[in-house]
Amino acid sequence: MRLLIVEDDPKLAEFVARGLRAELYAVDLAADGREGQNYINSYEYDLLILDLMLPFVSGSELLRRVRQSHPSLPVLILTARDTIEEKVRHFEAGADDYLTKPFDFAELVVRVKALLRRTPIERTDVLLFSDLELNRLTREVRRGDQRIELTGKEYALLEYLLSSPCRVFSRAMILEHVWDQSFEGVTNIVDVYVRHLRRKVDDCFPVKLIHTVRGVGYCVRDSESAIAPDLQ
Amino acid sequence: MNHRSLAFRLAVWYAVLMSLTFALVGAGIFYGLTQYVRSSLGDSLRRRSVQVEQILAQSPSDVTDAAIAESINTRVAPEFNNRFVRVTRAPASLVYRSGAPTDRSFEPLGVPPFGGVWPLKSVTRSTVTAQGLRLILSTTPLVTASGQYLIELGTSLEPIETLQQRLLALLGLLLPALVTCASGGGYLLVNWALRPVDRMSQTAAHMSLRNLEARLPVSPTGDALERLSLALNQLLARLRDSLQTSRRFLADASHELRTPLTIIKGELQEIVGKQILHGEVRDRLGSVLEEVARLENLVAGLLVLSRLDAGEVQGDWADLDLAELTLSTAEQMRLMAEDRGIQIDTQALIPIVIRGDRARLKQVIVNLLANAIRFTPRGGMVTLRSSQSSLYSVLEVCDTGIGIPAAALPHVFDRFFRVDEARSREDGGAGLGLSIAKSICSAHGAQLQVDSEVGKGSCFCLMFPRLPKAVIQRAAQALRSEHANDGDTDLTGGESVLVALRPRSLF
Repeated sequence: MRLLIVEDDPKLAEFVARGLRAELYAVDLAADGREGQNYINSYEYDLLILDLMLPFVSGSELLRRVRQSHPSLPVLILTARDTIEEKVRHFEAGADDYLTKPFDFAELVVRVKALLRRTPIERTDVLLFSDLELNRLTREVRRGDQRIELTGKEYALLEYLLSSPCRVFSRAMILEHVWDQSFEGVTNIVDVYVRHLRRKVDDCFPVKLIHTVRGVGYCVRDSESAIAPDLQ
Repeated sequence: MNHRSLAFRLAVWYAVLMSLTFALVGAGIFYGLTQYVRSSLGDSLRRRSVQVEQILAQSPSDVTDAAIAESINTRVAPEFNNRFVRVTRAPASLVYRSGAPTDRSFEPLGVPPFGGVWPLKSVTRSTVTAQGLRLILSTTPLVTASGQYLIELGTSLEPIETLQQRLLALLGLLLPALVTCASGGGYLLVNWALRPVDRMSQTAAHMSLRNLEARLPVSPTGDALERLSLALNQLLARLRDSLQTSRRFLADASHELRTPLTIIKGELQEIVGKQILHGEVRDRLGSVLEEVARLENLVAGLLVLSRLDAGEVQGDWADLDLAELTLSTAEQMRLMAEDRGIQIDTQALIPIVIRGDRARLKQVIVNLLANAIRFTPRGGMVTLRSSQSSLYSVLEVCDTGIGIPAAALPHVFDRFFRVDEARSREDGGAGLGLSIAKSICSAHGAQLQVDSEVGKGSCFCLMFPRLPKAVIQRAAQALRSEHANDGDTDLTGGESVLVALRPRSLF
């Protein structure tokens, strides 16, 4: 899988590239729109990560050209502009996804993976990690042979954490997926729910599964398993 | 009538000045006229006196008193002319005294005899008769062959006194009438002259920081008023420019902060995630990351504010039940409250339908609720209430928390304002929550007010004006034609109308 990042801030480009290379993608970097255009014309890419404010040729213009020459190339927009109007405009211009700075790298990886998935993967009905089991059909949660009763939000939170065990989910990501952005910055709602979830999932068991990574967020892992590879 | 108003004070000044002027002029007229009438009367008396002098001077030295009386009666006829004539020969013998005048204006016998030293030349004096009547007397000394005489010629002062009284009465009537006219006219005149200023202040009062495009009316009169309105308009233009600059700066700055923030956060998260660090270093990096998260919230908050400042109201405006939105938000936050031992009471929420942006309004409710929960001690209560009057749809968020000191109340909606620095820092609040809530409310044409008592709790009150449908429709039509002229045709619904209506009609 070969990715192209067109981003004029060298540090940010380098940081994103390093992380994606760790995910075993081949990554090229272009520092401006013109260079990006040349790369796209010269090589075959599976995904384009595009900043909007670029020298010479703007991101919006590059997106328009790419849509004409490569109609099926997935494009992820990475920008500091976060108004609804901007998003709508670029989705209409052919962008496949849109991520606003400052983003969580984990979020970027999730989205890149989703965009690169050519065919939709089968959604597993049962999420299983260690002795914790979540059944999406019956909405039943068990640990070992013990059944755990969860409220709606607690269930949604656990389902999200279990969707990628060992990956650290930031509070912003959790808020966006389980709640909505209204709660961002104002409340500690995520921490409250995680605490309640822990009380039900971990308190009565010797092995703790829900872990806090200070300053980053939460993840589901047991003590043996390492942290998700995309963060290494 | 306002006793301190400019018009009233000017009217009083007019009245005082007019009274003084009129009193001076009146006194002048009174004095001048009296003097003139007296002196002309004196002149006429002296002319008669000359006739008597001639009679005496032409008489032989042995003339009898009767002959003199005869001549005076014939030639001067004092009784018919209502004059008093008395001729005395030195040292003190009465030669002639006229009889009662035909108009009986005085009694000749009552006129007191001349006392004191005889004058050397003709003088005019007044005297009072035994009956109390005032007379004017011209007294002339004369020396002839037949002896030394004193001729006194007089008449009643009554006509002059009558004239004086009438003049006084006239002036007394005219003065109040004139003063009333002057002060009343002055009052009206000043009010009329100040009307352009009134119009300017009305326009200025309807301006808000969001609506700095409006200008004061300029009346092309070339005077101080025109200069004042021009100067104020220039001031407004400068204010708008500097406000725009600072807003753009805020937007640009928060924008520019985002890329470095992404890098800092990403790099740190990567290091922390590697688990190669242990103990203190890991903990410290975690703490740095927490600060980064706060910085992120701050930047996001500032961007939201700068957008609201710029008048961008995004998203979809629709009719929505604010109570239902409040209830669902409260349900989402109930656990947060219960976690701190706080009850949320939603019993008094009745449906209130308003028009607005659901996501943004939810932000307001979250901010207010989070605030209420944060500042309410364990065991407290947060009450949500909605109500409707003919003018407003109202949502109240009340708590039994620590309250806000009266001195801090006017500032709670200020950016970065914290009542208690230490406590808020601990909670990680950026001090923007209420400011954002207020801005969103303003963008909806709603008011956000606060009432609080230390130790008892605070109550935040959200008031949405209820616009009659007719007003909205009329504004929509006006706006459509306005935009049609601009060649702008993408205006479709009432929501844009309400946005456009907001600055002018709701504040």
